[in-house]
Amino acid sequence: MLKIENDIWEKIRDGDSLAFEQLYDGFAGAMFSLSLEILGDRWEAEEVIQDIFAVLWRKPEAYSPKKGKFSSWLLVLTRNRSIDRYRSRKRRLDRGETDEILQSRPDQANKDGAEKATASDEREHLNRAFSNLPPEQRKIIELSYFKGMNQQEIAEKLNLSLGTVKSRTRLGIEKLRNSLSTLRL
Amino acid sequence: METLKQKALDYTLGILPKDESLLFEAMLEDNDEARHSLTEAQEDCARIGLSAQPKSLGKEVKQRILENCQPSLNFDPFLESKPIQNLRTTFSRTTDRYTGGGGCVTLRNINDARLQDEINRLYNDLITLSPLVAGDSDAAAGDMASLHSMLKGIPSFSQSIDSLLTNPISKDKEGDGAQSVYRSLLSSMPSLSFFSDRLNGKSYSMGDVRRLFYLCRDQLKIMRASFDDIDPNRLVEDEKLRLHSAGLLQTKWWGAEHAYFSAQGKVRCGHFFDGPVTERCVEFAEYDANMYCLANLLSPRSSNGEFHMELIKDAVPNCILAIARAETTKGRHDELDQIVNGIKSKSTSLQNDHILWELIEESMLRAHQHSTLSELKKASLFGCHRLENSSYLWFAWPAIENSQGGAVA
Repeated sequence: MLKIENDIWEKIRDGDSLAFEQLYDGFAGAMFSLSLEILGDRWEAEEVIQDIFAVLWRKPEAYSPKKGKFSSWLLVLTRNRSIDRYRSRKRRLDRGETDEILQSRPDQANKDGAEKATASDEREHLNRAFSNLPPEQRKIIELSYFKGMNQQEIAEKLNLSLGTVKSRTRLGIEKLRNSLSTLRL
Repeated sequence: METLKQKALDYTLGILPKDESLLFEAMLEDNDEARHSLTEAQEDCARIGLSAQPKSLGKEVKQRILENCQPSLNFDPFLESKPIQNLRTTFSRTTDRYTGGGGCVTLRNINDARLQDEINRLYNDLITLSPLVAGDSDAAAGDMASLHSMLKGIPSFSQSIDSLLTNPISKDKEGDGAQSVYRSLLSSMPSLSFFSDRLNGKSYSMGDVRRLFYLCRDQLKIMRASFDDIDPNRLVEDEKLRLHSAGLLQTKWWGAEHAYFSAQGKVRCGHFFDGPVTERCVEFAEYDANMYCLANLLSPRSSNGEFHMELIKDAVPNCILAIARAETTKGRHDELDQIVNGIKSKSTSLQNDHILWELIEESMLRAHQHSTLSELKKASLFGCHRLENSSYLWFAWPAIENSQGGAVA
């Protein structure tokens, strides 16, 4: 995977289509994999990636170096847009809508995003970091990151206090940060 | 500091309440600690994101995305053309906006029993096909076994359409039912049958599965909006108020390959507005069928195999313009002009093309709640126009009043 530096954004902002293509070649795969992990739907994940790249080309000022690293911002945007779609689909299912596709789709609530990781060295590294987390912290991060549940929802689902959910989230993420600090972004 | 870190994390995960998000954003302007916390939270979350199982994107996705870099076609000359200037002076929104459902008949009232049975069968086959081409299907993951098995087990869609269209469906015999039958067979169905045939053969791509998924979804909605008894339970959902954004159409048409029987074309977009187009699925289905009719009329006549599909809002106040544009020869344009003006030749080769335009006209009568086509034509609410070496087809649809941003289906 290409290491994405902020200068690639500067080139895109200046209308450099080669830089745009370079960004796609180097990073779209990671963005798509994340979106697909959350949504479990190839076409929806493609739409998320397509929309983000369209915004990036037409309104590059949506990002600013003040917002942190470009690569991190892209992945966070991908995650948040995918979660928005996931929530929207869940709301439709909760309302009992009978779209032929929704109807045939099993609820993905039991799908474990993090545990399915097995491929590259980086992912093995990530997998190890996840499996080294205490299960109660790992569960909360998975529900929050891959399922887009807010802390109140997680507290209710796991029958915990809000304070416990908050502290476990933060502790889990700090542990991950320490284990993954060598991972390039 | 811990509170700030927590806020930064919640903000990054999109779970910070709106008012607190605004305060946090204000803090980012002049608080280094807040900025540092946000950078840290984003990097933490990005790292988790990289744990996703690697999947590859198809070549066609890259093609679609890189189309963003191509300069958009200038539509200003068309928007300043005489018919659109005329439309600007004549267009007015009706008090009660049409929200679809007007072109619906009862399938069991169709007199031709074979037609009834075949339409029912087509619908049920499509219901079976839909999940096999959905984004979470085996086919979307590259395993085509179930899809091939299903497609080989049913009569091909293209043969079914050919067989049903062998004899004209008489308006005298079937009344409004004839329009519903034609809408079901001639709008999205020809493209659907092309892609299902291709997927049933040996030379196909992942993009074909995606295209068939969208076509299937649209075709089912068009059929439900055409026949109220074909699937009453799902129709109840289609009739509920739910905004449909232009983005749904853009996603589907952007960079798509389109087929109308043996003619194929590549679609280009670039001027789609961002916001809602229709208020109910039944309205969206009717709008969608009209868009397919435009594409079906224009794609076979394009000189270079490409055509534009665009949705432009407020170039005419309170109106959404659906425009199809392609480079055409003078002869091909004249043919279109005759179709749009209802001039029929003795030859039957353009029979289906005349029906495509009539489907749009009928829909326009409903959308503008008018009883005479001639007045709608005079107001340039739909038509055909030539500029330099390009043909433009368009229809005007009343915009949703006070609509807010984009919405999802």
